[in-house]
Amino acid sequence: MAANFWTSTHYQQLMHPEDVDVVQQLDRDRGITLDDFKLVKMHISNYITKMAQLVKVRQRVVATAITYMRRVYTRKSLTEFDPRLVALTSLYLAAKAEENPEDIRYRFDIKDILEMEMKILEALNYYLVVFHPYRSLTQFLQDAGMMDLMQFTWGIVNDTYKMDLILIHPPHLIALACIYIASVSKDKDSVAWFEELRVDMNVVKNISMEILDFYDSMKNNIEERVNVIFGKLPSRS
Amino acid sequence: MSDLDSLITKKVADRYLKREVLGEGTYGVVYKAIDTQTNQTVAIKKIRLGKQKEGVNFTALREIKLLKELKDPNIIALIDAFPHKGNLHLVFEFMESDLEAVIRDRNIVLSPADTKSYLQMTLKALAFCHKKWVLHRDMKPNNLLLAADGQLKLGDFGLARIFGSPDRRFTHQVFARWYRAPELLFGTKQYGPAVDVWGAACVFAELLLRRPFLQGSSDIDQLGKIFAAFGTPKPAQWPDMVYLPDYVEYQYVPAPPLRTLFPMASDDALDLLSKMFAYDPKARISAQQALEHRYFTSPPAATNPASLPRPSHKGDNNSKVPESNPNEGPTVLSPPRKMRRVMPNRNDGGEENVHNAEKLDDHVSGSRLTTGRSSSRTDTIPMSIDFSVFGSRPPPRPTINRQFINEESCSGSLMMVEDL
Repeated sequence: MAANFWTSTHYQQLMHPEDVDVVQQLDRDRGITLDDFKLVKMHISNYITKMAQLVKVRQRVVATAITYMRRVYTRKSLTEFDPRLVALTSLYLAAKAEENPEDIRYRFDIKDILEMEMKILEALNYYLVVFHPYRSLTQFLQDAGMMDLMQFTWGIVNDTYKMDLILIHPPHLIALACIYIASVSKDKDSVAWFEELRVDMNVVKNISMEILDFYDSMKNNIEERVNVIFGKLPSRS
Repeated sequence: MSDLDSLITKKVADRYLKREVLGEGTYGVVYKAIDTQTNQTVAIKKIRLGKQKEGVNFTALREIKLLKELKDPNIIALIDAFPHKGNLHLVFEFMESDLEAVIRDRNIVLSPADTKSYLQMTLKALAFCHKKWVLHRDMKPNNLLLAADGQLKLGDFGLARIFGSPDRRFTHQVFARWYRAPELLFGTKQYGPAVDVWGAACVFAELLLRRPFLQGSSDIDQLGKIFAAFGTPKPAQWPDMVYLPDYVEYQYVPAPPLRTLFPMASDDALDLLSKMFAYDPKARISAQQALEHRYFTSPPAATNPASLPRPSHKGDNNSKVPESNPNEGPTVLSPPRKMRRVMPNRNDGGEENVHNAEKLDDHVSGSRLTTGRSSSRTDTIPMSIDFSVFGSRPPPRPTINRQFINEESCSGSLMMVEDL
């Protein structure tokens, strides 16, 4: 699939971190900082994951929904685009776009979603194809003979969706970073295998550092901070 | 062809000058418009919001998703999309006609070079899709659109989907029946680009014969027609056949020489045709390999697209109606306008099941054209998928759909590794 990725709109649309980390003016007016912005997006990602468990969709749909949501907020403000509605609608749209056959229509209160769906499509510029690290993860672990790390690494990949990595890096590099973290923390000797890959290890290590930094920052009391931020946003009925 | 009085000049979303309505699409009205930014003529599909309030139509969403990825001279271009008054509008390049109109037009003489040109463009489009891991799943002359400059462009990606995950299971209810590969008719859930190649082979044959090649009146009959043309496959020819879900044994008939079916075709054409019609999907030639076949390098050279014949009345109602031949069973009529074509079984995503009752599939149209046809064969048919034998509108088939849905999903609740 790699050859496919390089010609995809996903690849064409990868962004520089500094373009992702932009708080919209409307949100700044409400006192939202960059840290707040990141935290809200993490919170919405968790919310999407929780909702997805209720409606039972595949992990791929969850990952695509979160990617849609994150793409939306590179262009739209939290103030105008109600995060919870964006979360639900992204999940709804992702389920359709990923050919998720479960008829999730009936599990949502559809009325609010319909209007938002069109807005999200427009904000996404109608680009709906998303690649995820999961597939390359499986292939890499098989190739490296480290299938025993699958579950652990899979969890790390899931956690990367709490960050904006999917908007910035090719998915297979995210997968490699997760494998790198997993192999180091489980004392697996993966050096020789990584050396054989023709990838820029500096990039992989940088992504790994970002993930580790993220885990580090999660030690603070998140719930409270999120509540404070949501207090700054317009209230919905 | 259009009533000049009915021309409306209305600006849509500040960019498009709305002109006459071209037809009723599967998911809404299609009208002609002028793109004021480029002065280009375009076709705008206004996507009706479904009665079931499912939001943006699933089929439309599929088309948007895939066409945004597929930019190629032989694939219809999605120029723009925009919401307007609560409806989503898709802007496509305007296409004058389609291959079905050419094949049906008795005033057109298709030279071997013309046929070669049409097939080459068809295969180029397919090869591109397959390279991008997209299966079209609805190959038929009606979906091979013709631009004003003679270029053929593959259109209608409403049934298309991305493949490439190994072991993913898809619905076999794709393609209009006459263009459906034998593995699909035997109910396979795991298939690949070879199904599109079979469909392209049917189009190739149709170009040579100037009528649909394998006009089955039911799924069972379709296989019968295929086997009558190419001989009943032996297990040695297609080892996996007997393991397919809906496999039934057919009486052995030998293959007549292909030459007798296509008396006018060149040896190279027949050789390519037979490779595209290979029974075993694994042995079937790929679109890319087909393009490299000597048929395309041997004379005559393919006609330059600009010099290809044009149907006299483009998109005119009458030009699209094939003569029905009572001896060959019911003929599924293509709808008078391309956009209002009959969509077989557009339900593999589970999105349209509920309002599918109003949507005709080809089984239904077949049965409708033959009301009063004997239904005595009902009992002998081992599969329940075929509704034409009932001689009336089918039930919405919730059970069948549900089955497809589950199969296509692997398992909704398990977040499986293989799933991704």
